[in-house]
Amino acid sequence: MNNHGWVARTIAGGAALALGLTMAGCSGGSGASSRPENELHVAMYGDAGNVVEQKMIDAFNATSEVKIVLDKIPGAEYQSKLQTIMDTPTAPDIFFNWGGGSIKSFVDADLVLPLDDFIKEDPQLKDAFLPSVFETAVIDGKSYGVPMRGTQPVMLFNNSKVLADAGISNPPATWEELLEDVKILKDKGITPIALGAGDRWPTLMWFEYLYDRVAGEGLFQKALEGDSSVWESEESRKALGMLRELVDAGAFGTNFDSVKFTDGGSPALLASGKAGFELMGSWEYSTQQSNDAAFAADVLGYSEFPKIEGGKGDEDNLVGNTNNFYSIHKNTRYPEAARDFLKLMYSDQFVQEQVAIGNLPTTTNTEKFLDKAADPEYAKYQFSLVKEAPSFQLSWDQAYPPEATVTILTAVSQFFSGQIDEDGFIKAMQSL
Amino acid sequence: MTTTLANRRRPARAGGPEKGRPTRRGGSTSSRPGFVWALPATIFFGLFALVPLVAVAVLSFTTWSGLGDPKFVGLKNWEALFEDPVMLQSLWLSLLFIALGIITQTPLSILLGVWAAGNQKNRAILSAIYFVPLLLSSAAISVLWRALLDPNFGLPGQLSWLFGDGNVLGTQTGAIAVLIFVGMWQFTPFHTLIYQGAARQIPPVLYQAASIDGAGTVRQFFSITLPQLKNSIITSVILMVVGGLTTFETVLILTNGGPGTGTTITAFHMYQEAFRRFDFGTGSAIALVLVVISTAISFAVVRVSGYDKMRSSMEGL
Repeated sequence: MNNHGWVARTIAGGAALALGLTMAGCSGGSGASSRPENELHVAMYGDAGNVVEQKMIDAFNATSEVKIVLDKIPGAEYQSKLQTIMDTPTAPDIFFNWGGGSIKSFVDADLVLPLDDFIKEDPQLKDAFLPSVFETAVIDGKSYGVPMRGTQPVMLFNNSKVLADAGISNPPATWEELLEDVKILKDKGITPIALGAGDRWPTLMWFEYLYDRVAGEGLFQKALEGDSSVWESEESRKALGMLRELVDAGAFGTNFDSVKFTDGGSPALLASGKAGFELMGSWEYSTQQSNDAAFAADVLGYSEFPKIEGGKGDEDNLVGNTNNFYSIHKNTRYPEAARDFLKLMYSDQFVQEQVAIGNLPTTTNTEKFLDKAADPEYAKYQFSLVKEAPSFQLSWDQAYPPEATVTILTAVSQFFSGQIDEDGFIKAMQSL
Repeated sequence: MTTTLANRRRPARAGGPEKGRPTRRGGSTSSRPGFVWALPATIFFGLFALVPLVAVAVLSFTTWSGLGDPKFVGLKNWEALFEDPVMLQSLWLSLLFIALGIITQTPLSILLGVWAAGNQKNRAILSAIYFVPLLLSSAAISVLWRALLDPNFGLPGQLSWLFGDGNVLGTQTGAIAVLIFVGMWQFTPFHTLIYQGAARQIPPVLYQAASIDGAGTVRQFFSITLPQLKNSIITSVILMVVGGLTTFETVLILTNGGPGTGTTITAFHMYQEAFRRFDFGTGSAIALVLVVISTAISFAVVRVSGYDKMRSSMEGL
C-alpha cells in the first residue's frame, strides 16, 4: 500500500502545495468581502473540552444574527493546520492559541486584530482576567488575545500510596529531598519518576523548572528577546548539571525514551504504582480521572516543584500553559460580533461550564465557582498557585515561535538520553 | 488461467527467440485508440504531478512560512541543505532503511509467495489470514505496534530476556530495528502477492522436466523458480526502493524521528522542515532531492537489470 502511497502522497502533497501557492497568490486581493455572510468561523483545538466551546457558541447564536461555526481541528496537528490556512481566504475569524510565540508570526504578518480599542470600550475584556495570564497574549504592548478555557500549571504529581509504602511522608519541598526520595524509591525497585520522554515535551518541563528555579525567570526572557549568551551563563550550566545529576541518579529509570504520556504510558506508570512521581501539566488529574476516578480522588497527590537553595527564582514561580486564548483575524467580516463573542469568556456561565469539566479559567470571578468544581480541593489549590505565582513562565515550546519547537524538543531529549552534553545543549539553544 | 495461457502460446515457439512476440503487431493498428484517449490521464498527471513538481522546484528557491508571499532567496536553501548534518544523515538512514527492507522482505516474500502459489490444503485460508496486515492503514499499524512495544506494559515488559530494560525505541539501533520489523510485517504480504502471482505463471512443464532429470525441490527452486521470478523481483525491489524513500507515517508515529534524530529519514525530515518548522522552501528542496534520487535509483535498477527490454522470462515467449 505504501508502495502506491508514494504516488498518492506526491500528488496530494503537490496539490496541497499548488493550492497553497494559488491561495497565497489570491490572499493579497481577498478581504472581508469574500467571506461568507452572517457567519463567523472559530478554529478550535479538537478534544473532549469542545462540548463547552459548543455550548458557548450555541448560547451566542441564540441571540445573534451572525452565527458562529466551530471548526474542530485534531489537536496534534492544530498549529500546522492553522499556519497553512491563516493567510488564505478560508482563514478562521476567531482562532484558539496559546498566546506568546504561537501568535507572534501571525502578528508580524499583520493577520491578528489588536483588541485595544475594544478594551477601551469595555475594560472588562482585560480586567476580568488575572493580569499574569492576560500578559501572555500581549505583544509589543498590544493585546491580541482573550483568555479562554483554563490555566494549566505544571506540578509534581505523586502516587501517595507508593510514597507512604516507601516511608516518604511528604512530597519533596527541596531539591535535596527530591534526590533523597529518588534514592529511596530506586532502592525499592520502583522507577522514581515517570517520564514520557517519547513525547519530548514532558522532558522539556524539567528544563523549564530547573532554569526558572536556578536562574530566575529573567534568563529565559533574555534568551527569548535574542540574547543567546545567557545559555552559556554559569546559572545555565548549573541547571544543566543538576538535570544531569538527576538523570544519572536513575530518577527516570533507563527506558524513559520509549515511554509516552500521550498513549497513556507514563500516567499508567504512576497509577499502577510502578513509579512514584510525575512532573506534568494540571491535565494529569483529568487524565487519571478518566482512567480511574477513585485513584485520582484518593491516591493521586500533587505539590509544587521543589525549591532550590541558592537559586535566583522564586519558589512559587510556575511554568506551564498560562492559558489558552481566542484571537480575532484581521480580515474578519464581523469584528463586532467576534468581540461580543469574546465577552462571553468572562461570563459566569462560561466559568461554571469550564470548572465543571475540570478546567480552571483565570477570570477574577472564578473563585466564586470553585466549590462546584469536579474536585474543589484540587481546583482551589491550583487557583491559589496561579494567583500567587510571582511569575508564570509559558512553556518554552509555546513561548518561541513554532519553527523553534523542533530544535528545542530535540535538544532536551538528546540531553536526557546522553546523546549531547551541556555544550551540545547550549549550542542547540543558541542556534534559535 | 495459467495453464491455458501457456498452452495457447506454445505453438509460437517455432519462431525462435529473436522473433520475440509475434502476436503484438498485426492488423490491430487501424483500430488503435488515438491520443485523445490518453488525454484524461495526461491532464490528471500534468495537473496533479507535473504542475506541483514545478511549483515545488520554484518554492525551493524561496523562503516561505505559509504566511504572506514566498520571497526569492536564490540558492540559499540549497546551500544550507548541503551543510545540514541532519539532511546528510537522513539520506544515509533512508538508504539503510531501503537496504534492510529489501534484505528482510525479499527472501521472506519469495518463500511465502511460492508457497502460496501451490495447491496445498490449507493454503487459501492461511494466505487470507496472512494478508490481513495489507488491509490495515499504516497509521493504525504504527499505533498498534507503539502500544505493543511499551516498555512497562507491552511485550518488552514480559520478554525481558529479549528486550532488556525495554528501552527499544530509546536507542537508535532499537528504533531502526523496530521500524524495519514493522515495515516487514506490513509490506511482506504485498510482495508475497506479487510473487504468488508470478510463481503461478511458471509453467508446470518445467518442474515436470526437472523432476524427470532428477532435480529435488531445493534444486527446482533455485534453478527454475528463482530465475523465472527475475522480473517480479525487480518490480518488487523498485517498489520497495520508492516505498522506502517515502516511508513516513510509521516513523512519525513510532519514533517521531528519534531518539534525537536517530531515525529522521529524508521524507520525515522534509515533513518536519515544511510543516513543523514552517520552512516550506527547505522542505521543497528536500522534496526535490527525494524526487531526483528515487528517479535515479529506479532508472539504475531498470538499466542494470535489463528490465527496460521487457524480455519475458516465460518459457516459449
